[in-house]
Amino acid sequence: MHISSPESACRLQPESGAVLLILSGRWSLVRLEQLDRELGRLALRSLVGANLRLDGSALLSIDTAAALLIWRSIAQAGIDPAAVGLSGFSESHRRIVELVRERLGELGGRQQARLPDLLSSFGRKLEDLGRLLLLHLSFLGVAVSALAAALFMPRRLRWRELLAQLSQTCTSAVPVIALVMFLIGVVVAYLLGLQAAQYGANIFVVDGVALGMVREFSPLLVAIIVAGRSGAAFTAQLGTMRLTDEIDAIRTLGLSVEQVLIVPRVLAMVLGLPLLVFVGSVLGLAGAALVCASMLDITASTFIARIDDTLEVRHYLIGLAKAPVFALFISVIGCSMGMTVSRDTRSIGINTTSTVVQSIVAVILLDAFFAILMQELGL
Amino acid sequence: MNDPREPVLELQGVVTRIGSQLIHDGVDLTLRRGEIAALIGGSGTGKSVLLREIIGLMKPSAGSIRLLGVDVWAASRAQLDALRKRFGMLFQDGALFSSLDVADNVATPLREHAQVPPGMLAQLVDLRLSLAGLSTLAGSKLPSELSGGMRKRAAIARALALEPEVLFLDEPTSGLDPITARAFDRLLRFLCDDLGITVLIVTHDLDTLLTITDRVIVLGKGRVIANGPVDQVVQVDDPWIRSYFEVRASIIPGALPD
Repeated sequence: MHISSPESACRLQPESGAVLLILSGRWSLVRLEQLDRELGRLALRSLVGANLRLDGSALLSIDTAAALLIWRSIAQAGIDPAAVGLSGFSESHRRIVELVRERLGELGGRQQARLPDLLSSFGRKLEDLGRLLLLHLSFLGVAVSALAAALFMPRRLRWRELLAQLSQTCTSAVPVIALVMFLIGVVVAYLLGLQAAQYGANIFVVDGVALGMVREFSPLLVAIIVAGRSGAAFTAQLGTMRLTDEIDAIRTLGLSVEQVLIVPRVLAMVLGLPLLVFVGSVLGLAGAALVCASMLDITASTFIARIDDTLEVRHYLIGLAKAPVFALFISVIGCSMGMTVSRDTRSIGINTTSTVVQSIVAVILLDAFFAILMQELGL
Repeated sequence: MNDPREPVLELQGVVTRIGSQLIHDGVDLTLRRGEIAALIGGSGTGKSVLLREIIGLMKPSAGSIRLLGVDVWAASRAQLDALRKRFGMLFQDGALFSSLDVADNVATPLREHAQVPPGMLAQLVDLRLSLAGLSTLAGSKLPSELSGGMRKRAAIARALALEPEVLFLDEPTSGLDPITARAFDRLLRFLCDDLGITVLIVTHDLDTLLTITDRVIVLGKGRVIANGPVDQVVQVDDPWIRSYFEVRASIIPGALPD
């Protein structure tokens, strides 16, 4: 039997017919690791069958964590904690030691979560995706019918809220869109110019940039910027309103959540995005004109005249026509993700991220769909 | 160290000004080891502000606050960090971390500030939950899935994680139904009696005052206007105290059903 030096926090001492486990000093949470080592050194396992007794006469203090450590070590050594006697404890120390012993049975220690296997997590993801699509579909229905109700009865429309949303989603997005599209125009014209100049086909750069800009680049990029900006904002706003019960309050006051919150947002985006696409097209062309003038010897007036000659107006209209469709999807995704956050702060972050990802994917899918549709229609 | 006569908390001449408003005009009070004291007062008398000053979240304009022998507002950062491990605080709505489950909420202070032997953490967390009167099954739930009463218990379990010597509670029973609130009171009494924790409660709950507190401290007009056991405080001749206790027609301390 090992007997530790007297300075240590615990030692074993044989006594007539029993073994005393003598605790001394401070048994507290801050010393837990050291105490665990000292208990380990005692080799309690060798005491199975012996009549073990805890002695607390030299104990200065003990807390519940240290008491748990003792009982746990005793139980792990194969000794039944219930059969261990106590002696020499002060009243308050005994109470803590007994308290923890009584509760020892409840403390299973939770099971570690099993690692999900690949197939079942894939299945669960697919199921979630399906549920999400259904959710968006039903929300789209709600939004469209609320929109229709508002359009047939313009008095139900919240003009103030609509204007506030227009200013947030549209007006305040103009600077960033202008900057981004101008630079995109510069880059595209530069890349086309590098190739075209080799064949002396400088003037065709204008054709290519103009077609690409008004029909594809501007609607796509502006929609992506707006999805990241306003789609995310819709989710965060509505989600926070849900957390703070504001949405329930709106319902309780007899107001229609759709008319107060959803319609202004959806309508503002559907009206605002085409305007932003127009701004984006103009600035993109301006950026291209700058490169054409400085690199390809095409003056601004030649640039404009060439666009006037060769760019058919249908390209511009197709580009513009995509915008409201993109806007409808972005705003419906943003609102529906916002209305379905669960009641904790983390899910606002999760849903906002998800809104941005979903709306960007939706915009790109829709754009591809438009490309195929236009080709089939011969436009 | 655990001398029962040693004051756990000592406030001397605490003055608080927020803007031009004088909240506290010289608050003095002491709290002794192992007692449950309640801090009451009308709204706007700065109960919660005082609590925030005691735990070092808000600086008083003047006066000294000694908590567990440390001058909170003269202590170094390291001293304050060490002090923070020795008291627990229960915020009004629990302030549980909503992205972590209950067990992880309780485990957070243990992981950060204690060296728990491997394999023992889960058991220790369960012990905290059990001491706070929660089933260990609640450990795997998210705070949003808990009822108000359970949320408060989970918050108590987190506040108890590091074996605090003092526990501060801000309106622990507000928003709870009377039955849950009384069970919560008994839990506090148990923590105080069996674990020897000193408790300071900011409360409006008369039943809490009458059943479990050893002492009631009344704040009013920026000062402590009464300080003593409930039956003494009731006798104090002050209009606010009188109307406060008149809400309940008959006051028999300790006579509420268990």
